[in-house]
Amino acid sequence: MAHKTKRLWKYQPLKSSYDAVIIGGGLHGLATAYFLAKKHGLSNVAVIEKRYIGFGGAGRNTAIVRANQRTQENLPLYREALQLWPVLTKELDFNLMFHNCGNLNLFHSEAAMKAARLNTASGQFHGIKSHLIDAEECKRMVPALDISDRPRYPILGAMYHPPGGIVRHDAVVWGLAKGASKHGAHIHQGTEVTGIEVYKGKVAGVHTDKGKIKTPRVLNAAGAYSADISSRLLGAKLPISVLTIQAMVTQPLKPLLNHVVSSGAYHCYANQTLKGEIATGAHMDPWPNYTNETTAHYIKHQAEALTEFLPCLAGVKFMRIWGGLADMTPDMAPIIDGNEPVEGYYIDCGWGYFGFKSSTVTGKYMARYMAEGRCPEILKPFALSRFKEHRLMGETAALVNYTPDN
Amino acid sequence: MKRLTHLPTLKIDTSKKISVYYRSKTHTGWYGDTIATLLYADGIRVFGRSLKYHRPRGLYSLDGECSNTMMAVDGRPNVRAETTMAADGMHIAAQNVQGTSEKPVESTPEKDWMGFMDHLSWAMPAGFYYRIFHKPEKLWPIAVSRIRKAAGVGVLTSGYTVKGRYDEIYPATDVCVVGGGPAGMEAALSAADKGLRVILMESRPWLGGFYDYRTSLDADGVPLYRKANAMAERIAGYPNIRVFKNAPVVGVYGNSMVTAFQRGGRDRPFEQRYIEIQTRSIVVAAGCIERPLLFENNERPGVMQMGCAHRLARTWGILPGRRAVFSIGHDLGLEAAIDLADLGMKVVHVADVREDGQDQRLLDELKKRDIPFSRGWTAIKAGGKRNIEKVTIGTVNGMRRREFSCDTLAASAGLTPVTGPLATAGAKLEYHHLTGFFLPVKLPDNVYAAGRLLGLNDPASVEASGRLNGLRAAAACGVRVDSELKAAEAETSVLPGPVRNSKMVTAPVKNQKMFICFDEDTTVKNVDQAMDRGFDVPELIKRFTAAGTGPGQGGVPGHNLPLYVAQRGDSPDVDPRPITVRPPLTPVLLATYAGRNHDMHKRTPVHESQSASDGRMDRAGVWLRARYFSDDRRSRREIENVRGNVGVLDASTLGKFRIFGNDALKALQRVYIGDMNRVREHRMTYAAMCNDDGCLIDDGVIVKQAENDYYFTTSTGRSGATIEWIRYHTRYENLDFHMVNLTDAFGVINLAGPNSRNVLQKIADVDISNEAFPFMGYREFTINDIIPVRAMRLGFVGELSYELHVPSSYMQAVWDLLEKAGKSFKIKKFGLEAQNTLRLEKCHVIIGSESEQRTTLCDLGLGFLWCKSKPEANTVGSVALRQTENQSGRLKLVGFKMKNGLERPPKDGSPIVDSRIRGYVCTARFSFTLNEPIGMALVEDSYAKPGSVFGIYENGCKGRLIRAEVVKTPFYDPTGERMKS
Repeated sequence: MAHKTKRLWKYQPLKSSYDAVIIGGGLHGLATAYFLAKKHGLSNVAVIEKRYIGFGGAGRNTAIVRANQRTQENLPLYREALQLWPVLTKELDFNLMFHNCGNLNLFHSEAAMKAARLNTASGQFHGIKSHLIDAEECKRMVPALDISDRPRYPILGAMYHPPGGIVRHDAVVWGLAKGASKHGAHIHQGTEVTGIEVYKGKVAGVHTDKGKIKTPRVLNAAGAYSADISSRLLGAKLPISVLTIQAMVTQPLKPLLNHVVSSGAYHCYANQTLKGEIATGAHMDPWPNYTNETTAHYIKHQAEALTEFLPCLAGVKFMRIWGGLADMTPDMAPIIDGNEPVEGYYIDCGWGYFGFKSSTVTGKYMARYMAEGRCPEILKPFALSRFKEHRLMGETAALVNYTPDN
Repeated sequence: MKRLTHLPTLKIDTSKKISVYYRSKTHTGWYGDTIATLLYADGIRVFGRSLKYHRPRGLYSLDGECSNTMMAVDGRPNVRAETTMAADGMHIAAQNVQGTSEKPVESTPEKDWMGFMDHLSWAMPAGFYYRIFHKPEKLWPIAVSRIRKAAGVGVLTSGYTVKGRYDEIYPATDVCVVGGGPAGMEAALSAADKGLRVILMESRPWLGGFYDYRTSLDADGVPLYRKANAMAERIAGYPNIRVFKNAPVVGVYGNSMVTAFQRGGRDRPFEQRYIEIQTRSIVVAAGCIERPLLFENNERPGVMQMGCAHRLARTWGILPGRRAVFSIGHDLGLEAAIDLADLGMKVVHVADVREDGQDQRLLDELKKRDIPFSRGWTAIKAGGKRNIEKVTIGTVNGMRRREFSCDTLAASAGLTPVTGPLATAGAKLEYHHLTGFFLPVKLPDNVYAAGRLLGLNDPASVEASGRLNGLRAAAACGVRVDSELKAAEAETSVLPGPVRNSKMVTAPVKNQKMFICFDEDTTVKNVDQAMDRGFDVPELIKRFTAAGTGPGQGGVPGHNLPLYVAQRGDSPDVDPRPITVRPPLTPVLLATYAGRNHDMHKRTPVHESQSASDGRMDRAGVWLRARYFSDDRRSRREIENVRGNVGVLDASTLGKFRIFGNDALKALQRVYIGDMNRVREHRMTYAAMCNDDGCLIDDGVIVKQAENDYYFTTSTGRSGATIEWIRYHTRYENLDFHMVNLTDAFGVINLAGPNSRNVLQKIADVDISNEAFPFMGYREFTINDIIPVRAMRLGFVGELSYELHVPSSYMQAVWDLLEKAGKSFKIKKFGLEAQNTLRLEKCHVIIGSESEQRTTLCDLGLGFLWCKSKPEANTVGSVALRQTENQSGRLKLVGFKMKNGLERPPKDGSPIVDSRIRGYVCTARFSFTLNEPIGMALVEDSYAKPGSVFGIYENGCKGRLIRAEVVKTPFYDPTGERMKS
């Protein structure tokens, strides 16, 4: 195979004017740029990225995709997101490596089983396949599980969600960049947005460290940094706390886990990447911060948890741990809004740790929102105003406690 | 092979034989051998096959910088044979070998039918998998399973269990020194001389660093290995230096924590142990490893680092081969060539990439031995199928070449500093032009770097640097060392400084198999391909080519990748940028991190009594609590006994607090939604806390014991957060109050049922008749004259009942007295499941069960607890409650019963009206008391009125809804007669 060495995305000089500027070269930003350029003919678009594309959560997540959410506002969005992976693989002509291995969500208590029953029913009502299985069935699917009474949280059963799996996260970044660039969007790495120009209540332009840009539309899709940008550049404060979330991988092994396995009681999820590493993540750090630093106790916690319900993993080694930032809202659902507080300013943030699986579908609808100026039905429930009205979303039933006041 | 057994530098004990099994044969070595040296001494050259191309791989370094010698040992995959001590009876197997044997243990890595993959590398450019396998779509699932089988290295069976003891320790110290070489030892000694506690960490089994295997002399004419021994002996004489050998440091966190693990052994009675060190200052003296030389087939067995060849002979008594070529870029390579020649190896040629800068004395020694030497030459290509047979060397400019037949090629571009501990500590590293190293330009406070990793090479400089930084670390602990520091600084200033290192990155060959990363089979050409596709930062190239993401943790590509990227990049004036280093710096077994895996849970004072009478103890947060007292998952007998006789429940997990001080009332007024002014002395009230959204977060009772002195309870789940919550919400006013968490100081017994008064009266020292102690009353009295009891008449389960708060030490006694007194009244324990159904019949709410995160007090029908006349701004949640009180579209809590005579409660599911989800089923049970299923649900307000009918979509119902009707609540004893009587 004589391979052509074509750049995946083109280098372009920064123009002085674009139809839309997207802050953040992560998945949400790139997906929006791609759909704007491809579907809505808005190809004069720039993605402005301070570091390099995929620097943030896009390259730091554990690549799990699923649609077993809790509420009817979220379920259809994630359902469509799952359906998009094969479609985009084809459209972008870039193998996103969607490994449709299914997700096994273990439960260890009556309360968790109750929640699983509810989620399963809600999912089924929306046409999303999930069903409950008992501990023996879990063991058949994942022989490495310990279903005895030995672990401190014995496994009672699981919610099995066949349509989920894992996707190669970097491939999504690069594939979308390739697609966006092909349809005319510009990707400017190493460029920092320093200001948003507002004229008569409307977005007029964006200032960057490489020059000024005129534009009527700006999308803030800066992930963990979006609240800071919103507050600093527009004075618009968002109810977002930023917390480090850590993940780690083991040395590569021949196939051992054939499904994504997660456990709420152990604060732990694990899957085997196509390379053979066991990728695993935990709960967020319990306090807000803006660093990607890792801590000694998380990797220890993770080993303690994993070796409880997957005891054979005691014989494998952790190879590395990394941190990423999660932008958490008070109800663990995102903030998607437009023309607030000024016309032409759009936000797509607050995804917490759901930003990867939702990225492409959100980009699709966000692009429509920005192109047509009207919020698509599917995004309406995520408006910022819900916090003012005390109408939180019920994506998590329990109280979230990641801020000092909770 | 005959081993050299009389060298003074040996670290093996030739009086103790060790035998291991490999490929069904016994291989014998000596105590002190690693698995790799033992096998190498027995003639094994190919240790495994590479990940992608199944190329043969052999011994390359001795410190585990790549996966070449990763093997399976006793069923455990990916063991580093070169750093793992051989032990008698080990079963060893090669990894990633295809097809030579059915049994993996017998697979011979010398043969591998997948070896043809090597010829297909042209079809696998960097990131090739992103461009194929997805067309046609049907191909992909098949490809996935093939990719999965091909990927990965070792095999872990799902039934694998670790054996032996995995320990953990948490020592504290003043100075932690990372690295037990000359600089580290000097640093430890100079800090210890100041009376400080020192911990010295060394990953190898002995101290000595780059001295321990060398016979060359220092300025005073002492052989370096002897110097190392003398320093180690001095260290051993210091009681305030704690040395951990066999203990690689895996992470440095800021300037105060160092994590490591230690391998067990003869005097270390554990398999491994996790070490977490709290320290006041840190000296990193981790030395250098070698920077691999990039040339064609640079990872073929027989090619090894100069230090590897040298240490094999000097430390383990193994000559690496018969005929060797050296291609090196550092004086240590010249020294190794001379020494190995003296030990009996034929050194056919020494090529040095450096044009100048060599130590003239070493060149003279080479000359003395007639060893040919060429400047500005480098290895170009290694030839030979499983082990090298010949080597081509050439000039760096590519003009001239020569070929030699040999079985060993000691190859190294030079050194690279081990800066991982500094990088994880938060040091900023930058490219340093003289040394060619990435060196710290800014260190965190109290973190110091010393020794060879700074680019020093002269033994005197290295030692002085250790002394100087040991003193700095001591000063960081507050010791006054001004004059010594000055002297040490003066000493280092006259000694040789950092030395220039070779800058060559790749040999002058193009498009050949030069491996920049062995673990991932990444070639220099793959890096080119990635850069052609637009990846220009090392971090992205790493992700696209996988270079540096393997088990060697970047040991091989860590330095070369950024150098190469900078060299080839578009802007030649940009300095190379180091790639990110992440913990653990050495891979760590999960068993080791898990350690003893402490199970931190709490037991109530009457735990044993319950578990002894068939109580099934389940986790409830941090507690173990009894859920059932029989195998009946519906707890029918327990429920009926509470309704008909009397039951006893252990509620000790309830949060219990005292708040007192001048502003105690003000603090309570802030967080409770009701009016705390109304609580009179020695009286009790039921109250709730909301958050800023008006959502119910806690409920409990408050007892006023005196003016500004209250006792209050919280739900089990909130007890940990309560003090912080109250402090947070009073943080601006400087209120004067104190709180004590009494949760563990008091136990709680809930005595419930129509016979409960009769039972309690038998043991209480006071009159507890309905008149003396009415519903919602609070009393303090004694039992048996001495046991103080705080008693509350509450009715969570809907019967006449008492909540008895008893000092934990008396809990067992009261529990036993009640059991005895209750015998004739058929007293019976009941668990959480029974309580759940009982309180459901009364529609009493459990937070988190009937409430979601978004459910307000009013949504739950508990609005009566909210005092609207209190100043809103001073009450958490009050504003939100007002704003949402009459908001439409909210989910409201309702009770429901099943329609159409359905005799089972719904499984949890969603209420459906007009094909839309309208809420959530909260709790549903079959009520034995009412003989019908009942439940509570949160439903949209338009469907919340009694008489409304909704469907319920259950898990697995396939669209067949069951129907339910909203009814008036509570289900049981609506007037509350039974609680009040």
